[in-house]
Amino acid sequence: MLGFKLVMPVREGNLKEKARPIYLDMQATTPMDPRVLDAMLPYYTDQYGNPHSRTHAYGWEAEDAVEVARKHVADLIGADTKDIIFTSGATETNNMAIKGIARFHKDKKRHIITTQTEHKCVLDSCRKLQEEGFDVTYLPVQPNGIISLAELEAAIRPDTSLVSIMTVNNETGVIQPMKEIGAIVRKHRGVYFHTDAAQAVGKIHLDVNDMNVDLMSISGHKLYGPKGVGAAYVRRRPRVRLEPIISGGGQERGLRSGTLPSTLVIGLGEAARIAQQEMTRDHHRISLLSKRLVDGINARVDHVVRNGDPNGYPGCVNLSFSYVEGESLLMALKDIALSSGSACTSASLEPSYVLRALGAAEDMAHSSLRFGIGRFTTEAEIDFVVEKIAATVSKLRDMSPLWEMVQEGIDINAIDWSQSQH
Amino acid sequence: MSHPTPNSILRLYSSMLRTSRSFSSYNFREYFVRRTKSTFREIQAEKDPLRAASLFRKAAEEHTVLKRSALVNQLYGGWRLVVEKQKPVRQRSDS
Repeated sequence: MLGFKLVMPVREGNLKEKARPIYLDMQATTPMDPRVLDAMLPYYTDQYGNPHSRTHAYGWEAEDAVEVARKHVADLIGADTKDIIFTSGATETNNMAIKGIARFHKDKKRHIITTQTEHKCVLDSCRKLQEEGFDVTYLPVQPNGIISLAELEAAIRPDTSLVSIMTVNNETGVIQPMKEIGAIVRKHRGVYFHTDAAQAVGKIHLDVNDMNVDLMSISGHKLYGPKGVGAAYVRRRPRVRLEPIISGGGQERGLRSGTLPSTLVIGLGEAARIAQQEMTRDHHRISLLSKRLVDGINARVDHVVRNGDPNGYPGCVNLSFSYVEGESLLMALKDIALSSGSACTSASLEPSYVLRALGAAEDMAHSSLRFGIGRFTTEAEIDFVVEKIAATVSKLRDMSPLWEMVQEGIDINAIDWSQSQH
Repeated sequence: MSHPTPNSILRLYSSMLRTSRSFSSYNFREYFVRRTKSTFREIQAEKDPLRAASLFRKAAEEHTVLKRSALVNQLYGGWRLVVEKQKPVRQRSDS
């Protein structure tokens, strides 16, 4: 018989038939939306042109698709198409923005303001600038994770060139009052406002003109797009000038040389389009699931503390379970893919610096879990997680001598653990 | 384009639902089934025939994307999640 049969490929490891853990770590990365992959595939197969090739049809079609993607990203944050610059991700964009602004204005201005709860790549860029002789102010945050506007205003000096504050925190989901911060920064001429919005874009409504943002970092794989691509919003009116990190062929307004990864860029554009289309629906659903999770756990487990502002982004729920060690909880929860903090620092056993900045005690920072809820999370998964968490926490507490002492009514903090008197 | 008849809406709905159910990844399958249902509820509730027609056209476009996506997902779809019904472990009848 002619024709062909669709044979399912047997991939390695398929024989084991192991059940996979459910994914609840949407702040680390999100699964790529199948519709995004569908938009990308033609450019991985037939339409492989270099978008910068001006002499043939392969280049033109790739360039056209890249410009459409640029428009989708710009529309999502209320920007102009020409303000968007594609990069390799939010880390590169943060580096580009912070080092670029600081170095461009280094003759007159040598001061930068950021917060203690920023992402590692922002803090590390600032540390690098400190080595170069810049002065950096790390603003503290209030116990709910939000910065104090009065403290920000007091920290701005005549030689401040940049204020960098993230929109949504990656560990606690705290949303900073961007509009108010933007208004304060705008009052001071010559101070630029950068925000790391990797966790916010496509999830909450953002408008760069409304918030008076001059630079914004966007990441592809946090909004159901591909990994390895991101974007920078760099305002053109009034013009924001910065020194590029990468020199070369002068692509992307000379700020980021190098051939654009057209396929990834198209994926980011499609992800931005879908995010805009689905934002209301997604947000409503994620709020419901988040409430279901928090209420479910609170009903079953005592001594649970929610870290950060409860009115933050509902897709990021950071909970501390007293008298249970976070890492051992993670080890026991094999069926759930979770993290105790940001993925970048999940290899170390140090407590999260973000939670410490919020004023959490060391033992509470050690016992935190971050639940990331996204577009594809289901009610069944949430119920499963609540069930598992309740069972595991009570099992671990039953083993813990500390828990036993608490049940007997001993105040743990009053105990002098040192044995110096012997 | 003429306005969609109730019949053609129903046909597209059942076809899209079938496509959504054919995703092999649990999360995508559940999402697209849920989304298809809400999209068609929206079309049904729409009083303005012009808007309903445009919603219908958009859904038809999405269906073609969905069909291709489901195929790709079937090719690479992996193991079942712990929340899904696991495949029954078959035993020999004589054991």
